[in-house]
Amino acid sequence: MLWYKAWRESQARFLLSACTIAGLCVVFVLFHSQGAASAYRSRTYVEYIWRIVYKGYLREIFALLALLLGVGGLRRERDYGTAGFTLTLPVSRLRLVSIRAAMGLSEIALLSFLPVIVIPALSPLVGQVYPWTQALEFGLLWAAGGSFLFVIGFLASILFAGEYTAAVVAVTVTLGYSVVADRPFVQRYVIDVHDLMSGTGTHHFQPDVFLLVGPLPSAALSIILLIVCSSVLLAGCITQRQDF
Amino acid sequence: MLWIKAWEESRTRFAIIALVLTGFCVFATLFHRPVGPLGSGSVGLRIHDLIYSGTAKGTFAMLSVFLGLGGLTRERVRRTAMFTLALPVSRLQVLGTQVGVGLLELAVLSLLPGFSLPLLSWLAHDPYPFLKALHYSVLWFVCSMVVFAFAYLLAVAFEGEYTPPVACYIALMVQALIASWAPLRSYRLNLMWTMAEFPAIPWERLLTLLMITFVFFALAAWITRKQDL
Repeated sequence: MLWYKAWRESQARFLLSACTIAGLCVVFVLFHSQGAASAYRSRTYVEYIWRIVYKGYLREIFALLALLLGVGGLRRERDYGTAGFTLTLPVSRLRLVSIRAAMGLSEIALLSFLPVIVIPALSPLVGQVYPWTQALEFGLLWAAGGSFLFVIGFLASILFAGEYTAAVVAVTVTLGYSVVADRPFVQRYVIDVHDLMSGTGTHHFQPDVFLLVGPLPSAALSIILLIVCSSVLLAGCITQRQDF
Repeated sequence: MLWIKAWEESRTRFAIIALVLTGFCVFATLFHRPVGPLGSGSVGLRIHDLIYSGTAKGTFAMLSVFLGLGGLTRERVRRTAMFTLALPVSRLQVLGTQVGVGLLELAVLSLLPGFSLPLLSWLAHDPYPFLKALHYSVLWFVCSMVVFAFAYLLAVAFEGEYTPPVACYIALMVQALIASWAPLRSYRLNLMWTMAEFPAIPWERLLTLLMITFVFFALAAWITRKQDL
């Protein structure tokens, strides 16, 4: 029931995001010759897909949508006057928070794997090939990066009340993080998830062929997983102490 | 009273955006060191790199979406619409006030870099031309009005709390994609490009954007008048 509740609260955002990501992938593949010739002067199809999907517009849309999927929760329910009903359910607040987080992270994973399915499947229709393994690896990187961005929005929604305050704070924090993570002295120590999602933040990306080679950066992915789990736990602890 | 109501509903978002823009301005003039050949450049180059062609511009456009999320549909979801509708004012007046407060806030936010950058750069002993900063403020104001108006229209049309901003961001990205399509690129329809135009202000394009803004507001007003709240 709690899973269904979390789904109903986020389904409009998720379905809109899924349609957009899938639709844009279809457009990028079907109109690749116009795209490659104009703004994305790419020599190869693989380069074009990398520039427009994994480094370009689609990555930016995905990052914003991942943030916005994280907002919501009990603080918003308090403003709507429904927090009382939710809190009378025979479940702990930690469970409520965990299930909302789990549903959101599942949606992020599904969104991450949409390009994995669409791009390699449709590429033969335009006489091109995009390796499934590449798409899958980028899907995993997007799932990790998207999860990180999701918990930023998630934590902001736990900490800040007020309509859209959490979303504004989450967008601001993410942009500030991007600016700081690009500083040369910070780059060595802090993962920039945008670079991770495009592969350029890893030693496994070959810029001359625009492909990921070798194993994925397990250290970076593990750190992100740790951050995501800790953030959800922190959100649960904060919610347990809040007065609704 | 309606003005105070609209202000109270949006002041937190306005304050956060103002703080973010101020932070960008301070960082750009006093601390920012662009990566690459501009690394040891003047304050003007650093301002251009971070503010007028960089992250601050995109941030301002993205956060303008949240200033535009108002309307009576939001109040219906919170079950306060009946109180607002009981006031002795027309729905158009309620909408007009929200739009007026939002546009005033956008004007203030657009002018913030316009005044703070010349002042801060003067403190850094490398003054940035005030008229140049004002030039960009005009462009930022008109372009952010379009974003604000579209977000407002979506907030009036859709009931979900976060569906309007999601739809708005998607539309902004799709607009940028379409504008970069070769046959249309020469018309420079991308809002981000318009916000960075220099040296001349593209008055015809700004007028077109103002007309589009008016159409969005007119649609929002029409929908609100017909809605069963």
